[in-house]
Amino acid sequence: MKNSNALLLVLSFLLLLGCGRSYDVRPSGERTDRAEAIFPDYREVTIPCNIAPLHFYYTAPDASRFVTVFRAGEEAFTLKGREVVWKEKRWKQLLSAAAGSDIQVESSYKTASGPVSFSWNIHVSGDPIDGYLTYRLIEPGFEVWDDLEILERNLESFGVRAISDYRNTENKCMNCHIHSQGRGDLSMFYLRGQGGGAILNRGGQLRKLTLKSGTMISPTVYGEIHPGGRWGVFSTNIIIPAMHSLGNKRMEVYDTASDLCIADFDGNRMLTFPQFAREDVFETFPVFSADGNFVYYCAAPAGNLPGELEQMRYSLVRIPFDAETGTLGTSADTLWSGPAHQASACHPKASPDGRWLLFTVADYGTFPINHRECDLHLLDLSTGEEYSLDGVNAPGSDTYHSWSSDGKWFVFASKRGDGLYGKPYFCHVSPDGSVSKPFLLPQKDPHFYDKMLRSFNVPDLGNAPVGFDAREIGRIWKEVPAEQFN
Amino acid sequence: MTGKKVRWILGITLAALLLVAGGSQVCFLLRYPYFRKYAAINGVSLHQARQIWGHPSEASEANMGMAVEASFENWDAVERLSRKDRHTGIGTYYYNLSNAMRGQLPDKLLDFYQPFETGLFLPVGEKSSPFVIGCAGDVWWALNYMPLAERDAMLGLLFSPAHNGSRYLRRLAESNLVKGDYEAASKYLRILMNSRADKAWASARLPENWTPEYRSLIEYKRSFLPRMDFVHGMDQTPTILRILLNSNASNTMALDYLLCYDLLTKNLDAFMADFAPSLTKSVLYEEAVLIFLASKGGMDAENFRHYNVSGNTLERFNRFVTIYRRDNGALTNLTRDFGKTYWYYYYFARRNEKQ
Repeated sequence: MKNSNALLLVLSFLLLLGCGRSYDVRPSGERTDRAEAIFPDYREVTIPCNIAPLHFYYTAPDASRFVTVFRAGEEAFTLKGREVVWKEKRWKQLLSAAAGSDIQVESSYKTASGPVSFSWNIHVSGDPIDGYLTYRLIEPGFEVWDDLEILERNLESFGVRAISDYRNTENKCMNCHIHSQGRGDLSMFYLRGQGGGAILNRGGQLRKLTLKSGTMISPTVYGEIHPGGRWGVFSTNIIIPAMHSLGNKRMEVYDTASDLCIADFDGNRMLTFPQFAREDVFETFPVFSADGNFVYYCAAPAGNLPGELEQMRYSLVRIPFDAETGTLGTSADTLWSGPAHQASACHPKASPDGRWLLFTVADYGTFPINHRECDLHLLDLSTGEEYSLDGVNAPGSDTYHSWSSDGKWFVFASKRGDGLYGKPYFCHVSPDGSVSKPFLLPQKDPHFYDKMLRSFNVPDLGNAPVGFDAREIGRIWKEVPAEQFN
Repeated sequence: MTGKKVRWILGITLAALLLVAGGSQVCFLLRYPYFRKYAAINGVSLHQARQIWGHPSEASEANMGMAVEASFENWDAVERLSRKDRHTGIGTYYYNLSNAMRGQLPDKLLDFYQPFETGLFLPVGEKSSPFVIGCAGDVWWALNYMPLAERDAMLGLLFSPAHNGSRYLRRLAESNLVKGDYEAASKYLRILMNSRADKAWASARLPENWTPEYRSLIEYKRSFLPRMDFVHGMDQTPTILRILLNSNASNTMALDYLLCYDLLTKNLDAFMADFAPSLTKSVLYEEAVLIFLASKGGMDAENFRHYNVSGNTLERFNRFVTIYRRDNGALTNLTRDFGKTYWYYYYFARRNEKQ
């Protein structure tokens, strides 16, 4: 009896200690990133019917007695406490009751000045989202890196696994993983440095490739795989890192030369073209159209850099691609003119359904991730109409986007809030071009993003898990020689 | 032997072992106080620190001490710890920085080992150790150049063992407060407010809690910020210092760092272009001016007056030149009287290519 009392006392003490360690949610001073009543702000967002539970917390610093009631159809759940954390089974019940309609939410809590209550909705789309998201976790570290990893997150749960990491590659640099049209069985990324190469995943079969030939100005940098799987389109860039002396742009990166080329993954050939080897024009960020018959890319007249950096305005252009021969056409159409808009287009991405082209617009240059003014724009390829996505963009860079395999969702990395760390936000696109308010990737710990000191770099949607893991990449890095291209 | 006796002996042995272990720990902490403090500001326990950095030495303890005291801007303590010249880059870096904080950078520069410009600005690159990277931003913070103070804090965090050391988070918060980027600052302040050791510090830096003294400090640091945006390379140190001076010509610390950089790299043309005799004075600068005038012409009274060259410095220079010529450029007879002059450094210092 005596022992059990002592045990109870210890347990009570530990419980008290635990309670005392709840996370401090206070907004830190004026103009902070927590103006919203809840974080992440899931009010009036549209979510897919298969997303993981939306965990969040109330930001009112000195409030208490938090109650949140969720209702959808016949289902109603009441969750108490500052942190709103779901049991997965109940969340799924709620989601299935709300699919295609709304979850009504009532929030209430007490403050020193009286009770507070407000109602809001979560719109649940009947369109599911691709189940997997790959991204590189990286500290925003100015040219250098440590402990890099590329992860694959299951969007229906909180499951995460490494598909390449520093542990298996002796801390090598690795660049972001991209799917072709959201396909888990067709993707690639780069392992840099000794033993590295482009890792190509075709149907789960992995190859390590040296995508460089004698006539190219650099190894391949930005690019994409053709939907047919045989070709890749890439830019080759001479990249110069620099810094701004003023403001919050921090690091700037610009090209002093850039060209386009095609990789033939079946013939181990790099195809270069005289029309893209001109010194007076820079070409970068090439991607294929949904049907694979065109290449979209960004182009600008060469400038005297870094002096003319702020005059570097890239246009969005399109050129035919012949998937039989792997050749690029000779004349390009301008879809969006940088000089006419007094702005610069970056990172075009065509939706796999062929309807949309999503790209980012910055004041100048080719490195929008540190440009706070950088916003997403949507081009309707069927009408040429451009949407500025005011409801999607926020102060802080919004870029590095990718489409779901059905073209109904896109994800992008936004530095909203702190201006420093990229976080993945998702939007739904309706056939009429209306785009929903973005929602932040839910995490098990509602305070996850407050503690996070790494950026989600190039979040990319996949309809299936990629068929490899970090250990296999480590083995390939160590044991498999890179195939040479010529 | 009875069971009771065995238990008693075991108990005594255990107590003795604990006492020895505890005593040894106490001795360790007394002998290496900065090792523990350095571990704490890097967010690792003493046990982890010993696993990561091994057993400290007298030199590593001094280096960690300088890093710890610099992070709290205790410049007297930094000066005291850097006083012993161990011929290390870190030692020179903090020696120079603590002197600069007192306006004595040029006057004391050549009293100490100077590994060329790396004693002023620690090199940050692939070959730099995490310790060096962690220290590299202190000079930029002191010079009020926030882009590099922030960059080096970010890199320090990146290469620190726990990736969350308060030393770096505090610098990231404050450099953003100086820049007026409250959103970024709040990210770090919020993290720090959830650490018992940093809560009070972070709370005092929330803009609504600033004391008049802290507000004045922030405003003082803001007065040195560049007023125009320039895009520069990561390693263009003289350009960055000139950017600071273009915005605020009275930034004498930046001016002294620039002039000392020119002198340690033996770039006398740049030195003469950067030198503003009305803003800063030092015998070191007089010595450098004399080499320039002697080689390029202009050894006249007007120039001596313009560049503040004293009669004493001129007389010593003539004596140096006489011995140098007489001995055909040998240093033996110059070391005692001129070993701490710029002339001696200019003619005899050789860059250690291994560094």
